Amino acid sequence: MLRLEKVCKTYQTSEVETLALDNVSLEIGAGEFVAIMGPSGCGKSTLLNVLGLLDSPTSGVYDFFGEDVAGYPEKRLTQLRRDRIGFVFQSFNLIDDLTVAENVEVALIYRGVPGAERKRRVREALDRVGVSHRAGHRPQQLSGGQQQRVAVARALVSEPKLILADEPTGNLDTTNGEAVMAMLSQAAKSGVTVVMVTHSLTHAAAAQRTIKLLDGRVVSETLLAA
Amino acid sequence: MFRSYLAAALRNLERNGFYAAVTVAGLAIGFAAAILIGLYVRHEMTYDQFIPGHDRIFVMNIKGVGTDGKPLDIDATSTNLADDLKLDFPQIQYTARVAGGSFPPAVRRGDVSVSERGFVWVDPDFFKIMTLPAVAGDPGTALEAPDALVLTRTAARKYFGRDAPIGGVLQVDGDPMRVAAVIEDLPSNTSLAGDVFGPSSAPFSAIKQISGGGYLNNVVVTYVRLKPGVSAASVQAAMPSFVARRIMPTFAEVAPELRQSRASLSLKPLTAIHLQPSQGGDQKPGTDVKVLGGIAVIGVLIVIVAAINFVTLMTARAARRAVEVGVRKAVGAERKDLIVQFMGEALVYVALALVLGVALAELVLPGVNAALQRKMAFDYLTDPALLVAMIGVAAATGILAGLYPALVLSSFRPSSVLKGGPITGGGGGRVRQALVVAQFAVLITLVLSTVTIYRQTVFALKDATHTNKDGVVMLFASPCTDGLRDAIAALPGVRAAACSSPAAINMSSTDDLVAANGKKVIVSWAPVDFGFFDIYGIRPVAGRLFQSNRPGDDGAGLTDAAPPIVLNESAVRSLGFASPQAAIGRLVNWHFRPNLSLKAISAPEPPLKPSEVIGVVPDFTFGSVRRPIQGGFFYVGPKTDWFASVALNIKLDPSRMPQTLVAIDRVFKRVSGGQPVLRLFVDQLLLLQYLDTVIQGAFIAVCAAVAVSIACLGLFALSAYTAERRTKEIGIRKAMGASSSDILRLLLWQFTRPVLLANLIAWPVGYAVMNWWLRGFAYHVDPSLLTFVAAALAAVLIALVTVSVQSVLVARAKPVTALRYE
Repeated sequence: MLRLEKVCKTYQTSEVETLALDNVSLEIGAGEFVAIMGPSGCGKSTLLNVLGLLDSPTSGVYDFFGEDVAGYPEKRLTQLRRDRIGFVFQSFNLIDDLTVAENVEVALIYRGVPGAERKRRVREALDRVGVSHRAGHRPQQLSGGQQQRVAVARALVSEPKLILADEPTGNLDTTNGEAVMAMLSQAAKSGVTVVMVTHSLTHAAAAQRTIKLLDGRVVSETLLAA
Repeated sequence: MFRSYLAAALRNLERNGFYAAVTVAGLAIGFAAAILIGLYVRHEMTYDQFIPGHDRIFVMNIKGVGTDGKPLDIDATSTNLADDLKLDFPQIQYTARVAGGSFPPAVRRGDVSVSERGFVWVDPDFFKIMTLPAVAGDPGTALEAPDALVLTRTAARKYFGRDAPIGGVLQVDGDPMRVAAVIEDLPSNTSLAGDVFGPSSAPFSAIKQISGGGYLNNVVVTYVRLKPGVSAASVQAAMPSFVARRIMPTFAEVAPELRQSRASLSLKPLTAIHLQPSQGGDQKPGTDVKVLGGIAVIGVLIVIVAAINFVTLMTARAARRAVEVGVRKAVGAERKDLIVQFMGEALVYVALALVLGVALAELVLPGVNAALQRKMAFDYLTDPALLVAMIGVAAATGILAGLYPALVLSSFRPSSVLKGGPITGGGGGRVRQALVVAQFAVLITLVLSTVTIYRQTVFALKDATHTNKDGVVMLFASPCTDGLRDAIAALPGVRAAACSSPAAINMSSTDDLVAANGKKVIVSWAPVDFGFFDIYGIRPVAGRLFQSNRPGDDGAGLTDAAPPIVLNESAVRSLGFASPQAAIGRLVNWHFRPNLSLKAISAPEPPLKPSEVIGVVPDFTFGSVRRPIQGGFFYVGPKTDWFASVALNIKLDPSRMPQTLVAIDRVFKRVSGGQPVLRLFVDQLLLLQYLDTVIQGAFIAVCAAVAVSIACLGLFALSAYTAERRTKEIGIRKAMGASSSDILRLLLWQFTRPVLLANLIAWPVGYAVMNWWLRGFAYHVDPSLLTFVAAALAAVLIALVTVSVQSVLVARAKPVTALRYE
């Protein structure tokens, strides 16, 4: 369902050209839970951005659910993102000015979901991650763990086919980290493809497959117990 | 979706209370100023439009070039014109003459006795032309009786204490007249003036007294009302033949030379009187359309300055919204969705600012009305045009000011901002800098304009008139006699006293076709008293002044010659003398009237008589320096009536002014038999002539102050934000050894640079604008380099003071605090 073939991504500044992804080829199946690992600066986040259609590859093929999206214009990419992808970030990236419920609702607004249904789905999503009692609070009033639960709820609420999580436990303590991992595993079990960037071997172990990157290249793939 | 946007907007506003308050306050002040400016400009543009049928009402205007080559444009005409027009033009429904410039009559009822400056003599059809709303009676027919009066509501209350004193009697210069109608008070946007209207048919009316001078004396204002359906162009087309038929024969007979003056008669719309002020005849000072346009531009600039605050603060704080943009884009928002969101947010700010601005405008309008001497109304709820204009301007401001921040914010790349990386797509640093430069360029230009207007006003009131008016009062008398003069001159505290004609103090103008040096030119003439020039500190540039101890200086005993004269320098030039000195002892032939009076001026011209030039004085004026000083001469004249001798000019001892003024009033009452006192300090009198300039100057100064404060608000917020944003950089610099003063210098320079750059724009623009404005004056100051330097320094100082508080706080902070910040 996701297939990268010889994907390169370079960043050009005034004098320096940085090769962030170097001939990356990989395939990720539907409902698969994949962890991407590697040292800082190896291209993990770039890979996630390309997979999440937040960035386009400089060259190569990206087959996204059967469509080669490498040369798609921004408008089309936005539509695909809107319909199929949910994001979870290390720094939560909640909108400070909106309440918890409104933050989750944002993911439905651009999909054109009617108001009443939005309310119901937001409530269900917050229930699933256990923060429905905080629905009316602002993000700053929540602990880091709670904020990340909200972020996961936001990713799940739109019922995406793909969840991309960029170090989702990076800013959390062990307990909260495990809780978030459990939620992502649960999502994968329900048929959602989950791609997670992480530094944590423990959390990577929750995935079915680990892809290691170094200097923008895939250096190894490890299949873990299902 | 919109609820989500609105929630984000309102909470963003709440969370960024300080910056939001600055943005909204700046816009609100800007809107309030723009509303008031808009009201003022509209007020000035709509003079006389409240009068029903105003599009059929015209004032007769004379245009041409005088024998001295100077352009002529007056709304004053001959007393004969109204009747002749009525005879020759069946298209004209009504004509009416209005006499201005006559001596205010004493109006008395019981204990109330007033020298009524609002007294106007008009023809009976005046109120058929100007169908003004009546309080009581029928103004249209009221003045058909020669002893009838029409009062305004205020005048009715002043004399009778009630609104409709129909049949009530007032003594006008001792003659009984009865109130036949009362009209509503005139609004402030009318070129008409007057509180008490008397009929021209009264035996002692000013119109009756000055009638009979044929077409040589232009002394009344003539209004015409065309019949419905008549085009003004058709009447105008027939005007040259009317002039040839009716007016030119008089000239051919009396003064064939005046044929060269090629004057034309035209219909000037009533509604154009205020915006196209003429050189004579207008009852109220007009307005300079160019200056009015300038004020309108200032209104727009103020809104732009306020909008720039919005743009700079929104883009400066864009980083704070980056995550929101990233998240919204990541979950599928398109750029246009975000543009709509941020534009909507701008409109929320603008709507708030508009509400506050409207409240502020309502709050200060009474003060503005008092200062501008206007009665402007701000009835936006019953005035759809005003409401639409306000909302339209606010919406346009919101859209224009919101567009750039919306484009900047919506351009953030989510892949970067969500990782906390650099904000690509432009934080708008350069644009922000350019906007601050533009803001300061505007306010430096406004400061330059204000200073130049102030300098010109001071110049107009003091230096340009070439007279010393300090401590001089004018006491108006009808006439000013030797007895009155001597009685007042004898008072302790009075240094000198001398009578003068209205023409000598530029309250009226009397011209004559004078022959001298082989030339015939029109110059003005004015009777004065001995000692008149000394009171105003006017010294001769050649020859001597009139001396009471020199026999013949007042013309006594002369039969074949007119009295000796003193020329001004312009007359020396127009009469063709090589120099002031060369004019001394030469003869000037003019139509001297030995028994000058209002009646005599209307009589046929007497034969030419020679006067010897005994002195030349500098060009001086009691009038406006907008107009060139006319060539003229002075002679010691008779004191027959107010036309020959109207004012006693009294030089006071400054150390005992109050008691001297009381004594003067007492003497005047005694000598005049209880006439009401009309007395003014001469500088006050002059100030009245510059009232439009002074008011507009003050208005522009206030606008400049508003623009400066809005810009300062913005700069203050921007400095606070910059200090906040650079905290980490400052910490590192301090850790590396920079002192607090190094940091302070760094921060202050950041804000000084745009102000200095702003001068590059403001100087040429300011120079051009001021040159354009000053060209409207015949005598003016020149734009001075010192003004420019002072404006630049003031702007730098304002900027530095504004940003220094934040900068000092940040510069003095411990580096560890700064480094911990992020």
